[in-house]
Amino acid sequence: MSYKPEAKLTRRSFVVGSAGAAAALAIPPAFAAGKTLNVLSHKVHQTVLGSGDGDLMAGWRKANDAEIAFTTFDSNPLQDRLFREASLKETEYGVGYLIDNRPTSQIAALFEPLGPYQDKDAIEDFGDIAPGLVQGMTVDGKLIGIPVRHATQGLFYNEALLEEAGISAPPTTLEELIEQAKKTTFTSKAGTPVTGMVLASDLAVFPVMFARAYGGDFISPDLKLVPNREALEQGLAALRGMFEAGSLPRSYATTKNDDQVTWLQQGRAAFTVLPFARGAQLNNAEQSKFPGKIKAVPFPGSKAIEGKMPMASVVEAWAMAIPKNARDKALAWSFIKEVSSKRVTLGMAINGNGPVRVSSYADAGLKAKNPLAAVEAKVLATARGAFPPFPEAARAQATFLEEVQLAVLGRKPVKDAVSAIIERVKPMMPA
Amino acid sequence: MQLQRTARLLPLLAPVHLLILSVIVLPSLYVVWLSLNMSSFGQAPRFVGLQNYWRVLTDPAFHSALWNTVVLVVVAVHLELAVGLGMALLFASGLPFRRFLLVAVLAPYAVSEVTAVVMWRFLFDPDAGPITLALRALHLPTLDWSFEPSHAMTLIGLLTIWLHLPFTFVIVYAARLAIPAELYEAARIDGATRWQAFRRVTLPLLGPAMLIALLFRYIFAFRLFSEAWLLTKGGPARSTEVVAIYLYQEAFSFNAFGPAAATAWIMVLASLLLAGAYVFLLKRGGVAHAH
Amino acid sequence: MRTERLLIGLGKALAVAAILFWSLFPILFIAMSSLKPGQDIFAVPPKWLFTPTFKHYAELWRSWGVFFEGLLNSLLITVGATVLAIVASACAGYVYSRNSGRWLGASLLGLIIVRLIPPIVVTLPLFPIVNWLGLSDTHLVLILLYATFFVSLGTVLMRTFMDQIPRELDEAAAMDGASRMTILRKVIAPLAMPGVLAVAVFVIVFSWNEFLFAFIFTATKAKTAPLVISEMIGSIDGVDWGILFAAATVQLVPVLIFVVFMNRYLVAGLTAGSTKG
Repeated sequence: MSYKPEAKLTRRSFVVGSAGAAAALAIPPAFAAGKTLNVLSHKVHQTVLGSGDGDLMAGWRKANDAEIAFTTFDSNPLQDRLFREASLKETEYGVGYLIDNRPTSQIAALFEPLGPYQDKDAIEDFGDIAPGLVQGMTVDGKLIGIPVRHATQGLFYNEALLEEAGISAPPTTLEELIEQAKKTTFTSKAGTPVTGMVLASDLAVFPVMFARAYGGDFISPDLKLVPNREALEQGLAALRGMFEAGSLPRSYATTKNDDQVTWLQQGRAAFTVLPFARGAQLNNAEQSKFPGKIKAVPFPGSKAIEGKMPMASVVEAWAMAIPKNARDKALAWSFIKEVSSKRVTLGMAINGNGPVRVSSYADAGLKAKNPLAAVEAKVLATARGAFPPFPEAARAQATFLEEVQLAVLGRKPVKDAVSAIIERVKPMMPA
Repeated sequence: MQLQRTARLLPLLAPVHLLILSVIVLPSLYVVWLSLNMSSFGQAPRFVGLQNYWRVLTDPAFHSALWNTVVLVVVAVHLELAVGLGMALLFASGLPFRRFLLVAVLAPYAVSEVTAVVMWRFLFDPDAGPITLALRALHLPTLDWSFEPSHAMTLIGLLTIWLHLPFTFVIVYAARLAIPAELYEAARIDGATRWQAFRRVTLPLLGPAMLIALLFRYIFAFRLFSEAWLLTKGGPARSTEVVAIYLYQEAFSFNAFGPAAATAWIMVLASLLLAGAYVFLLKRGGVAHAH
Repeated sequence: MRTERLLIGLGKALAVAAILFWSLFPILFIAMSSLKPGQDIFAVPPKWLFTPTFKHYAELWRSWGVFFEGLLNSLLITVGATVLAIVASACAGYVYSRNSGRWLGASLLGLIIVRLIPPIVVTLPLFPIVNWLGLSDTHLVLILLYATFFVSLGTVLMRTFMDQIPRELDEAAAMDGASRMTILRKVIAPLAMPGVLAVAVFVIVFSWNEFLFAFIFTATKAKTAPLVISEMIGSIDGVDWGILFAAATVQLVPVLIFVVFMNRYLVAGLTAGSTKG
């Protein structure tokens, strides 16, 4: 997230700002162009396209005499809204941003197959876009979305806190991570109580990462439920152990993704797992008490899998899709084409977007701006989604998380929780 | 004559009834149809009869949601009434700056649920919330709401009381002000103690107003959603889920419109049952007034 | 005797202090925190003395223009819903106040019962209908929804207040040849002003604060302020509490001032709406 330097607070802007409703009247009409493309996305998708002088789409707007109107929601409400819109007779939205774990056959049928568009009016150097991500957006043989962003999870740590605890290097195995998280559960020199690690409890990402660290998974890409029971048990036992030792926050059950950012910035936790792209925000001097001190490494696998298999980190990918019932599909495709170009992909990467083009990582400007680019590219090579899409995936994830929480909080033995996961999720799996 | 009268009155009645019919009544009936079908995004509805109702009523998650809702309604609403009654009596006993105090008590009525949750979540933040820190400094137990389901329910209850206490208080206070002072005078002359006056005069005369406040709050607490959702999302491990959250999860997280619609109608029926009791009491109260 | 009085006075003072703390502390603390420099907001222990800064308000103005558009939308929708609800309720309330009959009684009871259906129930089916009518993301749809959920209470309130206006006034006007509409506008409405204001307080507070309907039925053009605040909570910037508190304060202050000034009508409305309903 890039922040502009602090704006000078003029008297006028304050007076108007505090006048509330009256002030809104002073806002000039936003749209002046001939056409408007409505885009349904997350706020971050809009932000990375830049604004003002840094607007990456300025040329496109001019060339098409079109405005882009973003409607932004948080991830889950966004997907819900997108599917609702796409189920109608007609929708105002030309482009919707789609997460890679959502398109089942039924959902995919709501969106325009993009193959024919690509044949007619191709995206620049399409082969450069990570094939794994393109594969994730191909459902029943049809390409329904063009990858635009990926968020690959890395292990962030606060270098200053590690030093205080007498740790010289970040962990290279899961066992070391657990040990270091224990050591950094202390009261820092600044007097802040520090929790070793902070993780959100409402996302499958984290328990899945722990299971994978032992060579297991929740649901494998070929839709096998808990392919390795022992590994999942080990992963959950590790989380449970950390919670018991106090190196996960006591508020684990209500901790959310945003809290992870705040806790790291405030020095209330030493470790967390977040997408590499969050590095800039975590080190932002205006928000963070530890600018420049929060670094990232690949999430480590356990000693058990060392040398046997690579640690498969979780990657979440977003793609741009066109609802079948959209009005101006030509304009929508033209937008997608422009956003997917090498220039805009790189520009977005510099603004903190996980680039979907392999070539972007080679760019010197990006390397200079984002010190984590190289690590991220390496982790991305072996990463995969948290779980594959299927009709009852949302319910399966909720059930999985419910049992994980019970196990981590100690309300249920880990073995029982894993049994319950297998038993309860089985009926939700596709036949 | 009758027809003529109807024709004259109809234009005046039409706006209200058209609005209600098209926005509430017809959609509710459509929900009945939805509840008898299985449907999701990109999937045509399939008639399944009462299967959705069966599925909801036998779902352990629904049982726990219903239980949580009932506990919340019973505990929070009665506590709210007790506090509201105490405050009404305090106000009626004569206070300086009464108008100002009344306004202060009404203030939370102006706060939106979204803002209220922002406030309370922050105040009770387990690590940095000012209330948590104050309690800790006084060596009092803090609300461990992010870990203990019962504490989370307590916080949800406190928040909902905070938002709705103005309502309960005003109802009871207005009824208390309506009690003629002569009655207390008479009780005093008969040698009644304060407590006896309260038992014999205040309570019986406040009874109807308190009942009505209770029923209203039952009905509104039964649909409670935002407070619980924004504070805990029903967690940890779905242990603080209420019926409205269950409905939301089915509809908006799992896209299972059939069970969601069935839950909706179960809510409607429960509310109407409470409403029936309310109308019954009103009718009886109306008769009492006529005497 | 004197010590007893002193004790009672002390007890009362304590109770009043507790009431004030309970009602006002959350509001004041958020407003205060919106003026704290960013890193002090989460300071342990909380800082009571700090240099107030309008930084968060400036940042809000700079990067959340959509919030101020939301305020404007909230204003338009609130005004629209209030006018519609008052006009519709006054018309119907007048009929119910001046006429009786089996059907009228039944339809009034119907209004009261419908009011008890939870709003979340109608969100499922309304979405496709609203879209089919082309009303999605318009101010109109929220105006209709908000007004509808208050016309039943409004009607009951108006009837109660109009019942107190002597019928002789209508009869005199009717003898002078005034039509029913004219009587309602020229004779009844001015006298029923307290009722109108009571209905207005309810609808205004509800429309200004409502979240669920706004979330489902708006997207860009009619997005209201509470919806923008909830988006700020979920914004990926990592909750920026200072800006969030600033927005919450800006959203809250107008309606709070309104309730403070209208408290008489709010009390009158609450009392009449529940006991006579």
